[in-house]
Formats: sequence, structure tokens, C-alpha cells
Amino acid sequence: MRRRDRRRYLVFEVMSEIEVDKYKLLNAIWNSMYSLYGDIGTSESKLWLVKYDKLGIGILRCAHSKVDEVRAALACIHSVNGAMVGIRVIGISGTIKGATRIA
Amino acid sequence: MPNFFDLNVHAYPETHTPAEEMLRVARRYGYAGIAITNHDDSVEEQQEKYPSIYMGIEIRTNSVSELNRKLKHHSGKVPLLVVHGGDEKINLAALKDHRVDILAHPCGEKGEGVLSHILVRYAVENGIAIEFNMNALIYSRRGDRARILGRMRDNLHLVRKYKAMSILTSNARSIYDLRAPREMIALTSLFGMRRGEAVSALSDIPLSILEKRWNKEKEVEIL
Repeated sequence: MRRRDRRRYLVFEVMSEIEVDKYKLLNAIWNSMYSLYGDIGTSESKLWLVKYDKLGIGILRCAHSKVDEVRAALACIHSVNGAMVGIRVIGISGTIKGATRIA
Repeated sequence: MPNFFDLNVHAYPETHTPAEEMLRVARRYGYAGIAITNHDDSVEEQQEKYPSIYMGIEIRTNSVSELNRKLKHHSGKVPLLVVHGGDEKINLAALKDHRVDILAHPCGEKGEGVLSHILVRYAVENGIAIEFNMNALIYSRRGDRARILGRMRDNLHLVRKYKAMSILTSNARSIYDLRAPREMIALTSLFGMRRGEAVSALSDIPLSILEKRWNKEKEVEIL
């Protein structure tokens, strides 16, 4: 029996016109997930923003089977708080240590 | 990794972003090249040349006779001829013409147009690629997006049935509209496209369209 849930850590990069606030970005990610997959799909993804720094690099945690869904939701974000943004996933890791190394 | 191409990007003078800026970001994202296809009614002539940027043109019109006139005017002069689809009459006229390379967003930017069996058969006959426009998915929400996804699903079904060429494009108007190849592939899974299909729609098929045009140019030179 597995003791822990299998997770994936997505390292992403935000390209934006102006600096993006962490909470506004998180809000945008959640909204995008809700809009695409609804409440149930979003709950299954077990999304969590681990880290986000001012340079626009962040780490998202999600269930290991929902990586493509989260990726699609990130791709669907076109603006945060009125500023245009484009989000790209740089790398994926199974551990937070590996993810930090990528970031 | 295969070479990825984005064959529908709008840049200066139609938008504020210069073409080389677009290429810089696209390269960073992992694309081998992009094609700038500005709408013909917003720009007149484009001469700028950079390696890895293909200068195409997207013809936008409401009438079939005007489309034919514009096709005659542009064919052979630009490496990539795209027709701005959406309207049923325009879709039909464009797919009937072998000079066209790509029919852009046949379901329209808002999901108003439809493709049919007949249209896709013409596309196969004339070697025209059917575009799936990811920008429409990124910028729409709720009802609009549901409709667009539904249309894309139908189009994908037809494309599979008749083995037509399909390509993925961003239709980007600024660097923030560009999406990395893997993100594009993830977006296609929303309307049921398989991974392999999506990869080839972003790499092999765009390349074959560009090569077809190169070969034609060479033939002309030999003659």
C-alpha cells in the first residue's frame, strides 16, 4: 500500500508586462482550472502553489496523473489583473528537491 | 525533439510587436521557426527577411470574388498563403483553390462557422491544411469556449476520417500570446486530439507545407 499520494512538481515561468502578484496569479490559476474542469476536476488535481518569486519563476504541486490538465489550465491564462501574461512550464519533477534544482 | 513551427503569428506592422521579438520568444519556447501571416487588409507589402521567419499573408475578405482576386494577386509571391476562414462561403471557396496553403480557424474566431464532409474532402484534394487555433481557446471562456471546443471536436473527427492535414497555431498577436509546444499539445487534449497527432500537427505537417512551397519555388527557377 502506498503511504503518500504521488505528486508532481511543475516549475513554471511567467512572462508578463508588469510584475505579477503571487495571490493574483494563484487566483488566475484557480479560475482557469475551475473554468476548464469544474469543481470536481479541480479538486482531483490537488493543486498547490509551493513557491513563487518576483522573477516570475514558480513551483506548482499537483497530482501525478493531472499534469497535462494543469498544463492546459496554465496555458489558458492570458491575463492576470489586467496585465497580459504567458505561462510556460519549464520542467517537471517528482520531488521538490528536483524542482528546486530546475528553478 | 522534433522541430516545431508556428505558422500563424501576427506581428508588426499589424500589431505592435516586431517580428524578431516574436522569433526570439518562440525560439526560447522551443520553436524552430515561425511564419508571420499578417492580414492582407491591414498591411500592404512586407519585405523584411530574417532566417527562420517565413513571411506569409492571411487573406481576410467577405466575398468570394474578392478572395479569388486576392489569391490571384498574391499567389507565387508569398511563401505561405493563409485564408481567414469562418464564413461558410469563404471556407468553401478557399478549400476549392489549390493555391491556398492553410485555412485558418475554419470554425471562426468565435466558433460561428462549420466544416462539413464536402469541405474536408476538398481540403484533402487540394492539399490544404486545416488550422486549429489555440488562441481562440485561450481567450474565450464558458459558453464561447464550449462552442469552440465542440466545433474543434467535430473538425478533428472529419480530419481523422478523411486524413486531412491539420496544423496547430497560436495566432499570436503579442509575445504573451505565444505558447510553448508542450502547452499547445496539452491544449489540444481538451478537444480529444491524441498526443501523436498533436506533435505532428505542430512539427511534420507545418514543415511539409513549407517544403512544398520551397520545392515549387525551385521548380520555377529551373524552368
